[in-house]
Amino acid sequence: MKMTPALAMVGSLLVFWASVLVAIILPAITMTETPSTAWRPWTSAETAGHDLYVKNGCSYCHSLYVRVSDWDLGADRIAERGDYAGQNPAILGTERTGPDLSQDGGEHPDDWHWAHFTNPRYTRPLSLMPSWEFLGWPAVSNLTAYVQSLGSRDADYRVARQQRWKAPAVRAYAGGPDVNVDWLHAQVPAGWLAMPNPYPATEAALQRGQKIYEGFCLNCHGPVGDGQGVAEKYLSPPPLNFTTLKRHLAQGRYVGGLFYYQIMNGITGTAMPYFKHELESEKIWDVSNFMAVRFLGYTDAGTAPRGIEAAYEPAWSNAFQSLAPKGVRP
Amino acid sequence: MTLATQTHGTAKAFLAAGAFWFLAGTVFGLIAAIHLVAPEFFNNVPFLVFGRTRPVHVNTVIFGFTASTLIGCAYYYVPALLRTPLWSERLGWVSWFSWNLTVLSGFFTFPFGFTQGREYAEYLWIFDVSLVVAMLAMIVNFTMTVATRIENVLYVSVWYALGACLWSAANYPIGNVMWHPLTGALPGLLDSVFLWFYGHNLVGMLLTPLSIAVVYYVVPRVARTPLYSHTLSLIGFWTLVSMYAHIGGHHILQAPIPNWLKTISVVDSVAMIVPVFTVLVNVWLTARGHGARLWRDPAARFIMAGTAWYLVTCIQGPLQSLPSIQKVTHFTNWTIGHAHIAVLGFSGMIALGGLWHILPLVTGRPLHSPRLVNLQFALLTFGLAGFFAVLTAAGLIQGEAWHNGETVYRVLPEIAVYMALRAMFGVSILAASAIGLYVAIMSLRPAPGSVPATSCGTSLHPAPNSVPATSCGGTPKSSCTATVPDQEAAP
Repeated sequence: MKMTPALAMVGSLLVFWASVLVAIILPAITMTETPSTAWRPWTSAETAGHDLYVKNGCSYCHSLYVRVSDWDLGADRIAERGDYAGQNPAILGTERTGPDLSQDGGEHPDDWHWAHFTNPRYTRPLSLMPSWEFLGWPAVSNLTAYVQSLGSRDADYRVARQQRWKAPAVRAYAGGPDVNVDWLHAQVPAGWLAMPNPYPATEAALQRGQKIYEGFCLNCHGPVGDGQGVAEKYLSPPPLNFTTLKRHLAQGRYVGGLFYYQIMNGITGTAMPYFKHELESEKIWDVSNFMAVRFLGYTDAGTAPRGIEAAYEPAWSNAFQSLAPKGVRP
Repeated sequence: MTLATQTHGTAKAFLAAGAFWFLAGTVFGLIAAIHLVAPEFFNNVPFLVFGRTRPVHVNTVIFGFTASTLIGCAYYYVPALLRTPLWSERLGWVSWFSWNLTVLSGFFTFPFGFTQGREYAEYLWIFDVSLVVAMLAMIVNFTMTVATRIENVLYVSVWYALGACLWSAANYPIGNVMWHPLTGALPGLLDSVFLWFYGHNLVGMLLTPLSIAVVYYVVPRVARTPLYSHTLSLIGFWTLVSMYAHIGGHHILQAPIPNWLKTISVVDSVAMIVPVFTVLVNVWLTARGHGARLWRDPAARFIMAGTAWYLVTCIQGPLQSLPSIQKVTHFTNWTIGHAHIAVLGFSGMIALGGLWHILPLVTGRPLHSPRLVNLQFALLTFGLAGFFAVLTAAGLIQGEAWHNGETVYRVLPEIAVYMALRAMFGVSILAASAIGLYVAIMSLRPAPGSVPATSCGTSLHPAPNSVPATSCGGTPKSSCTATVPDQEAAP
């Protein structure tokens, strides 16, 4: 076979255009743009936020589609073609240095996002995301509107739930610490309120709890647990001051199950997210013990009622000021 | 003889630009890498924020460093292999200005939030036009050089150079959706089909053919032996264009694109083994028995390393297109590692090999310092190999953790050390690019009292003892002698 200029140029270009026919023209003809059931159009603020998302390269760290195999945020809604109808451009993303955002709408209230965009480590201490404070207002507001729209109608449902619970949470905080704590407790199922921390607050457990606290809780609730973390000034209601729970010792009430439930489930309407995706059981019990011991000065760990000790449990007696009689469990 | 018409002026200008963009693009790569180690290192400096520096890095190293250098090589070897002067140096300079205008625009648009935002297609429309103008100018120039050629036989490097320009001039407007100047995008999911057709072919239809052309040009010359097989080079060329161009769908394999598109993307991604191995077998069998000669030549050392990276890239590529593997590797730093061995390991190493081989041919003088070139090779090899290793490790950690139920946030501390190591290896790559720019400048600088560089114009004419290339016969060991006399141009 002799390569002539005609063969090398016209021939190879014909083969290339055959590929264009298959991989470009056929999809352009056959791919339908029917909106999915979740789809809705964007508002002007959401469109402005999407524009910022595109122009600032958010897509280099965040994807916008959930795969069949995903377990993380949004795993309950696999992406459909119709989710992207009319989006211009729909940038799917190629990396997940940060989480997928396609179902992020309504995961958090707006004030969480304002703190997060100002400095992502205010709400997520381990984040690698740059600060976007320089964008200023209304850019951060528009970006928040866009992120809150991700998931479309499903996001609207979640956003409405955030708003539904925000009002009573703000009202409770305004009522002072007693009202606030009572309201918070009223949202926890009774079984959890009557539950002590079932696991010993050994030195190792407290160290594990501290690491979790530093990685997840620190910048809202603060290094001494007084709710005065760096994010506090952005949040309404502000983060809980744990020291207000010291009264529980005098009142003979438990904190273990209470902490566990609120960490697991979050408090929708406030900036307190649920952590059940990220922290498995032992980590939540450990951070509960850490918070109780360091910020409240006591823990109910080891207090009845409780079951048979887990196999690993060392001999441990609750040396912290406790509801339990000292040395109850040799 | 003015600058605009000086023989090899275009080639020199593209080679110099490539050496410069290598340094400039790598600086931005290091800035981006630092963000992933210490996100508040450049806190609230708008034009240095990660999302704005990353596209400067990516576009500059692809279009500025790798493509510019490879185009500079083509501006030399296409006329040389055809034994005829470049049809128009003036038109060559037109392509140089409009190409580099586009690359330069990245530094003054992306950091300030002016971008079309689609990965690899970020340049604003007006600069898309500028890049296409450059490609059209190259097509006209190379076509007219072919039309006015003295050497009848087209050597394989010429096929690839022509193909790269023609395919990319079609690929670029399609992928950048240039008929929508404001957004450069289509609405809906279809946009991703267009984008990744283009993004994949940016490597496959521009960098790959231009790189292979340089390999085919330099290896037989340095080994002083004809090409092993004309037939294999034919197979490699035609299978590349017929199998590579339509498999971009594997970049969005797990997105809701049509299943038939996913199927052909995966099947022909695996079939990519054919063009890759035919080229590698052809080159390595040409090199067989001449290893010492190739290793001792600073330029050929780069080229052979580039072919090794090509092998690694193109074993990895088909594998990670398989759904069961991509399920773990996609969205992770594994992909970043792969991208770097493709663009820097394969195309970049070969571009540098072409640079160091062709610079003496266009200046008529030896390189300023082969020792510094060898140092660049060492720093680059160390930096890239380490970079690839740590990013692959980080990617596997991320992918396996996510696949077993950990969230993205939980895995960030697990990859922290790899992000720090990556930045460290990046410093080595940055040092290599700085050394390269220094050697390129010193080599291009007119030596005091020397004969004007144009003396190498003699390379355009066949040396008396040369054997005309006879690749049309299809017999092995027949097709490359046409290039050998060029070496005599270098004193």
